[in-house]
Amino acid sequence: MVACAAFVGCNDDFPGKPNPADRPLPQNEITDFATLFAQNCTGCHGADGELGPAPPLNDPLFLALIPDETLHAVIRDGRPGTPMPAFAAERGGTLSTEQVKIIAAGLKSHWPADKTEEVSDAAIVADAPPYLSSATILQLTPGATDQASTLFERACAECHSPNGAGGETGYASGGAINDRAFLALISDQALRRIIITGRHDLGMPNYAAPDGRPEDFKPLTSAEIDELVALLASWRRGDAAAGDAGK
Amino acid sequence: MYQLLRKLAHWIDARAGVSATLWPMMRHPVPRSIDGPMGWWYVFGSASMTFLLIQILTGIGLSMVYVPAADQAYESLLYLDYQQPWGWFLRSLHYYAGSGMVVMLLVHMTQVFLQGSYKYPRELTWVVGVLLLACTMGMFFTGQILRWDTDAYWGLAVGASMAGRVPVLGPEIVHTLLGGDIIGASSLSRFFALHVFIIPGALLTFLGIHLWLVLRCGISAPPKPGEIVDPKTYDATYHEELKRGVPFFGDALLKDIFFSALAVTIVVVIAAVVGPKGPTEPPDPTLAGANPRPEWPFLWLFGLLSLSPPAIETFIMLVFPVLVLGALFFVPFVSNRGERAPSRRPAAVLLVIVIYTTLGVLTYEGVQAPWSPVMDAWSGDPVPVNLVEGRTPLELQGAAVFQFKNCRNCHALEGIGGRRGPDLTTIGASLTRDQLITQISNGTPGGGNMPAYGKQMSPAEMEATVAFLISLRPDGQLPAGAVEDAPVEGTTPQPVELTE
Repeated sequence: MVACAAFVGCNDDFPGKPNPADRPLPQNEITDFATLFAQNCTGCHGADGELGPAPPLNDPLFLALIPDETLHAVIRDGRPGTPMPAFAAERGGTLSTEQVKIIAAGLKSHWPADKTEEVSDAAIVADAPPYLSSATILQLTPGATDQASTLFERACAECHSPNGAGGETGYASGGAINDRAFLALISDQALRRIIITGRHDLGMPNYAAPDGRPEDFKPLTSAEIDELVALLASWRRGDAAAGDAGK
Repeated sequence: MYQLLRKLAHWIDARAGVSATLWPMMRHPVPRSIDGPMGWWYVFGSASMTFLLIQILTGIGLSMVYVPAADQAYESLLYLDYQQPWGWFLRSLHYYAGSGMVVMLLVHMTQVFLQGSYKYPRELTWVVGVLLLACTMGMFFTGQILRWDTDAYWGLAVGASMAGRVPVLGPEIVHTLLGGDIIGASSLSRFFALHVFIIPGALLTFLGIHLWLVLRCGISAPPKPGEIVDPKTYDATYHEELKRGVPFFGDALLKDIFFSALAVTIVVVIAAVVGPKGPTEPPDPTLAGANPRPEWPFLWLFGLLSLSPPAIETFIMLVFPVLVLGALFFVPFVSNRGERAPSRRPAAVLLVIVIYTTLGVLTYEGVQAPWSPVMDAWSGDPVPVNLVEGRTPLELQGAAVFQFKNCRNCHALEGIGGRRGPDLTTIGASLTRDQLITQISNGTPGGGNMPAYGKQMSPAEMEATVAFLISLRPDGQLPAGAVEDAPVEGTTPQPVELTE
């Protein structure tokens, strides 16, 4: 039988012949981005980098804005103050330095740039506020709180209600963001990121999109986003200055 | 030239007595009814032997390339798989013919048991057959170790720690098996010696005895209801039967050859289509995510051990196998007379059904292994999209915490994830907020399966996780404990007519 088979055909034709490409690799030697992404990221960020509990990674706006170094650092060290854990082996994760680099680089190149239904205009990317805030301390004075509240009302209240309590305000799915438990699980930088990029997968508009916002709404500036983040941070601390909001 | 060869043959025969011994053997008669369709029940033993022959041939081939050294074994397997022409096929055939041998042995034993062929005067044939089964299982276990990948490493670790539980002699046995106190360079050599010399030596010796006994006692006639085996009269009756018998080298042999050829063809096709098993990742004792499984003939034992309470583990590991082997040995001594036909032996038929059902169920459990957490579910299995959409920011963070705290490794969502704990897809409809907090904080009461997570989660993480869990319930269903018209906890989207 074997001899027959040997004469009849080349033994490459047999489906059972192992393919060197399928050779099992030890975890720390995997270098394929798709495999690494599926094993390490999809649990929270979703199968195709969207529609997971954590913010989408296939968001072209996000990928365009975040500096390479920052992206690399977030994967390596995690995001303190959020559920995002450190993935580098030296920080208690499971990935080698090389693998962290592969994921960081792969994220930027994996989703083709033409997938920009959500970012309707390249200008939105071009005009976007910087990913990292230039302000070092986000602290609101009592006067500034009113200003930030007004801004919040214009930019966020349609979904999240004026005091951030969420509720049935047309875009009912917005939900509460004045919840102290929620705010304790999201860092200021993560808040800034989500205000800039929105969540295209769950319907949250980005910094410039007009959905559910007043007609004269102007794209949020970097300083305005700082103000909003500071407002949310004050809710997180439960500041008296924050008034009723956050209760 | 021909004359010369004939002379040489005669010269050898005159001194070795080959024809005087073999000729009667080759012409030995078997009961006439084996010529008929009932004869097809007698083909499984010879098929096992055919597979053994293949194992010897492929084994010799493999041993020419395989390097039984801890640092080179794995590489030599890769060489066989990817570079040596037909090396992959040799490995594949060796594995599937070995599996086929186990299957044929079991079928053969079952047939012998059901048809009462083990009864007088063939008790010893059965006992030696049980030893052959033990040797074959030993070959399977040691063969798995020679694969020297992650499964082999952990299989050996488990086997050694089982052996280590033997009272008094345990450490000595482990030391002998592993060639040291831990798995090291000598361990593989020991198992190579076991797999290639010691167990095959025993197996071939027992096989010789088995075959001799088959010839000596004759092949039993197919059973007929009402034909009673009585040691006092059996020999005379059988002798009479053989006078009317037919030679084994005839129809009976043709049946054997036909069936063996069929069995080998099936195995060759499987080997060519499925390909060699493993090796999986190289052995690495530091690999935390390793999820080793024993080879299939041992899965039922794996299932049995995993499902048993820890208190009786040692019993199952050490006493149970002895009991099973002992029970098999004693089969012909419990009853070596009486009816042989299965239709007159309902207890025997029932026993076979119960045993195979049990083995089947335990093997199924062993394959599924719902008791093993899925170590990478938390980072690799996405939260089902419909459990993400419509969640509040707090619930979303809760879902992220749920993944990040490895809950998913034991708890599936919509069937995906670990199965050690219950699936939580609709947990919000059955546990209240307080019950969830208590369960997560304290774990299962009384030291059950679930560990207490109270000290490993911040209040905010607990709050978010519980909010997410409460939101997990079928559309329109209230949270557990909530009363209709009362304020609804959690903010699962309500049906449209309620929100408009």
